[in-house]
Amino acid sequence: MADTERDDKVSAGYRALGGEEPPRALDEAILAAARKRPSRWRVPLSIAAVLVLAVGVTLRMLPQRPEAESVALAPQVMQTPRPAASPPAPARDQAKPAAGAEAAAEVAAADALAESRMRSDIAAKPTSRASAAPTPAAAGAAAESSVLAGKLARAELSPQAWLERIAELRKQGRTREAEESLAEFKKRYPDYRVPEPPR
Amino acid sequence: MLAYRRGEAGAFEALYARHKGPLYRFVLRSVKERALAEELYQEIWMRVIESRGRYAVQAKFTNWLYTIAHHRLADHWRKRGLQLVDAQGADAVGHRSFEPEPRAEGRQDLQRLAAALAALPELQRETFLLHEEAGMTLAEIAAATGATVEATKSRLRYALARLREALGDG
Repeated sequence: MADTERDDKVSAGYRALGGEEPPRALDEAILAAARKRPSRWRVPLSIAAVLVLAVGVTLRMLPQRPEAESVALAPQVMQTPRPAASPPAPARDQAKPAAGAEAAAEVAAADALAESRMRSDIAAKPTSRASAAPTPAAAGAAAESSVLAGKLARAELSPQAWLERIAELRKQGRTREAEESLAEFKKRYPDYRVPEPPR
Repeated sequence: MLAYRRGEAGAFEALYARHKGPLYRFVLRSVKERALAEELYQEIWMRVIESRGRYAVQAKFTNWLYTIAHHRLADHWRKRGLQLVDAQGADAVGHRSFEPEPRAEGRQDLQRLAAALAALPELQRETFLLHEEAGMTLAEIAAATGATVEATKSRLRYALARLREALGDG
């Protein structure tokens, strides 16, 4: 400072005007703001969070693939649509847990074989399914029977056990269900010789 | 300031303790209204806090601080459409905010000095306050206010002349 511009009397007078200080509340607000400065990790953490979110969204947008294990066990079952008469199996039936892998492989193989036979059968006799279709009047009951037939078909029974179950239905007077189940059985095992029901 | 920039909160507290009084008085005597002065004072410190990342050791912290203060006050004056203070306005309610206390100098002298200070044109008053409160040299004041050293020197000279006159020493 060029002290030639200084005037001691003015300076002293000015000092005498008072030494006001900011209110304590203002001090505290400013110091609190200074302490709240962003941490050095804020930016890297933000970037990491955005990356995690982006990866998560991308993974969700990818097409869902079947589990590799299920594909290895029953590739045909996974790719072959089931016939209309048989309701689609629940997902848990299609993707067997690893614990029952051996049994599941056998069932899947049997299912695949049966279905491939059934498809060829349907192709050869296109009207056979139509004739097996329920009448509209009996649609409700037929739907119920179809459900039971489907259940029996998926119950992993041997052909003999399945036929015994059908015979049991007949004994109980559940003829419609027995017929439905038998029709399902014939679709599944067209070459199996089915004994004539007792008259 | 560099220590604060590195994350040492205590460094800011030391800076604040050193500069809070002079800066507060500089703002208070520039705008003459206590509530407005407090608002501007807080905004200036907020700018300091927000700008810490850009702080570089090119000048004293004092110069940087009062450069920010000058810009904030210039914004304020611009918004109010003021470039120079109206000499008539010096007697308005504003300057009650730094009404002088009775001291050895004599109450009347101090009242006249306070009135003369409030009546100074903004740039002259700013130059005087930067000189008295911040202890800045002519070159530093010129840098902080964006003026030439000669213009700064002239403003200070005029300001001192008027204040001397108010003290009955003109």
